[in-house]
Amino acid sequence: MADERDPKVSQRYRELGREEPPGELDARILAASRRAPETGLAPLVPPTGRRRWYFPVAAAAIITLAVAVTLHVERQQLDPGFSGLRSEPPEAKKEAPAAAPPQESPAKPAAPPAAPAPSPRAADAMQERRSADAQPAARRDAQSGAPARLYGQVAKVESPEAALERIAELRKQGKHDEADKALAEFRRRYPDYRIAEEMLKKVERP
Amino acid sequence: MEAPDEQLMAAYRDGNAGAFETLYLRHRGRLFRFVLRSVKSRATAEELFQEIWMRVIEARDRYTAQARFTTWLYTIAHNRMVDHWRRGGLSLVELDEQDPPGDSPDPARQAEAREALERFAQALEALPAAQREAFLLHEEADLSIAEIAAATGCNPEAAKSRLRYAIAKLKAAVEDG
Repeated sequence: MADERDPKVSQRYRELGREEPPGELDARILAASRRAPETGLAPLVPPTGRRRWYFPVAAAAIITLAVAVTLHVERQQLDPGFSGLRSEPPEAKKEAPAAAPPQESPAKPAAPPAAPAPSPRAADAMQERRSADAQPAARRDAQSGAPARLYGQVAKVESPEAALERIAELRKQGKHDEADKALAEFRRRYPDYRIAEEMLKKVERP
Repeated sequence: MEAPDEQLMAAYRDGNAGAFETLYLRHRGRLFRFVLRSVKSRATAEELFQEIWMRVIEARDRYTAQARFTTWLYTIAHNRMVDHWRRGGLSLVELDEQDPPGDSPDPARQAEAREALERFAQALEALPAAQREAFLLHEEADLSIAEIAAATGCNPEAAKSRLRYAIAKLKAAVEDG
């Protein structure tokens, strides 16, 4: 390594002091570092200073979004001609969020509705009831499958280059607030990604 | 023998929280001073310092030991600092109210030493941001020219030139005293 140091400059620089971060900050960062591998989630450390309000606002936004998506998906899947489902909204609500993240869960409960195919012809009242039970179940499966697909689309990994193009497009359309948010998210997601000067001009607020 | 940074970061990525602690303790002081001398206030420096480490934690799954950990860490720091600089002005933290080193009890000499130190701090503050960053990365983070270039996204010639200009200006400030 080519050392460009000048001894006098280095010495004077050292004389400026050897400041260290406060112990409280160390503790916060280390606590976050321990939590992250346990939970597999991004570290939750309350922001300090002027960004103190971020957490409550972010929490409110997440809750609003979650409720809006759930309601939207429910409405989309609701079959107006089928009354059985309407009688069970609380159950449907209960299942939707649980089924959304894992991909396998919609497949597993889907098996029972498929199974009734070889059902005996001696269909009595009991069986009718059973198939009636199976239908809402199948519908719920379809319902839970929809959010899974929806989440799948959202979670689809976007390359950094594609993300930047998208932000540049937003900027071009004059959607600066949206572009700012997308850029902030981009920097959070790819903290070590170096944006080329040319692209930087396109994605930053003019 | 101490485990290399890259091994510790990989261990942390794989779920060993203790590895991060070792890594953090190894780099906290240098990174903190790098940030502190690049921004206006101590509070801002603490905020940025925390954010940089949070980004390290968040990015752990994407970490691959392709370069020195230090280069990776300071690339993250550089990106965060660029965000900060773009939003606000550039300034260095004011000198703490502390006595300059030296055990001379002579008040006149102490005042002289303090003045020299303040002159140096002002010269450092007056450097263009890119030059100051190159100097701090070299002096504080111990990065080579090639590593400074990698961390700041410029070519090695530019990194070398920035560093040389910075050192020349700081040397002039030292010799003025």
